[in-house]
Amino acid sequence: MTAASERDEGGLGREALAYADTLYNLARYLTGNVTEAEDLVQETYARALRAHAQFTPGTNLKAWLFRILRNTFLSDVRRRRNNPVVGGLDTVMPSVHDAAEQAWLREDVDLDRLRGLVAAEIEAGLMQLSEEGRTVILLDLEGLTEVEVAEIMGCAIGTVKSRLARARAALRRHLKDYAR
Amino acid sequence: MTPVPCAEARPALLDLQRGRLSAARAADIRAHVAGCADCTHAAEAEAALTDVLEHRLPQHTASLAFKRALREQWPAPAAPSRSWRRRWRVLAPAVAVVLLASVSAPLVWDRAVGRPEREAVAALTGEAVNDHLRMLFSQRPLEIESGGIHNVRPWFAGRLDFAPVVRFEGDAEFPLQGGAVGYFLDRRAAVLVYHHRRHVLSLFVFRADGLRWPRGGLEPVGRVQARAQRLRGFNVLLWRQDELGYALVSDVEPDALRALAVRLAAP
Repeated sequence: MTAASERDEGGLGREALAYADTLYNLARYLTGNVTEAEDLVQETYARALRAHAQFTPGTNLKAWLFRILRNTFLSDVRRRRNNPVVGGLDTVMPSVHDAAEQAWLREDVDLDRLRGLVAAEIEAGLMQLSEEGRTVILLDLEGLTEVEVAEIMGCAIGTVKSRLARARAALRRHLKDYAR
Repeated sequence: MTPVPCAEARPALLDLQRGRLSAARAADIRAHVAGCADCTHAAEAEAALTDVLEHRLPQHTASLAFKRALREQWPAPAAPSRSWRRRWRVLAPAVAVVLLASVSAPLVWDRAVGRPEREAVAALTGEAVNDHLRMLFSQRPLEIESGGIHNVRPWFAGRLDFAPVVRFEGDAEFPLQGGAVGYFLDRRAAVLVYHHRRHVLSLFVFRADGLRWPRGGLEPVGRVQARAQRLRGFNVLLWRQDELGYALVSDVEPDALRALAVRLAAP
């Protein structure tokens, strides 16, 4: 490794490590536990370190790290299942609950109850979503643009839009159960 | 202004709130929402969900030890070679900063680490004492009377989003009275009540994720490292085991509280 590339690697490392908490948060919501989340973040940094030459300076480092983390997670899930994921991981069906969603949107009282939910209930509701649902909601909360989310998730911008809408609708339905 | 039907406005509500629409498109959607009760409710629902997620969804942070391990994994940048004159030009401000830091470091350390930790410990301690008092003042403090821990612990199933790990079933010195579901800060907690002579001891078990936890001033209590606190005449012991947090509080002497904590933390 040349001195110049070592310097680039070190500079990238300092910047990348600033996102450790953000990456860990997504990892916790993907894996559901501390140990696996730490393993996932550690593997993400190891891969980023190996692939640092592929990172284009001036582009979004956070989005690049998120993409590595998610791909690492999916590879791990596929390896454990010992078969490829067929038809995507999204289990949220868009049309089944449309009527219930519309009804709930019209009930003010449910919005008040929603606002009264505690942290643990919101987390439990989020954890009931599919991996794609959790990811798209968390990336959206991180303030990433739809273009960046699309790059991370390897899909079109329109797909991000529809996945986000479906995931939020599904989350509202789950939270409705806690808000009773 | 172009009229917009509900079917077109509804999917654009989140984009509107995120500021992702052009000015003209945003004005069209706003105009539609202003005149449509259903879309007004839908917009409020989107805003309420965003608000709940942004303000109450727990944000998990990596531990300091883990972050240190990550830093060690990623190599530090190699120092470029320079003449001593250039080095000194670069180093002189750094030396000044180091000297200044040596004077101000204790203050900075206190502001960055000491004070947040004190505030975190005070919040945990205050919550434990207040919850204990609520338990004492309650007309019916126990939702399940004790028939032993094997009767109490299963009672929590379906009432909490975690399984409270408590193996101590009480003994002659600390008989288990029963349990209840309560709240600890922003989350549900299992509450177990023990007696010691005529004193009441409350144990709160809750998910510890997302809570700032004391790292300093810990003392060994059986198998765990606990932080002992005293507030308004009550003694409090705080400790973590795996992903759960424990707060034991009572007006008994510290030794008696510690004796129960040792039993609770035993394998």
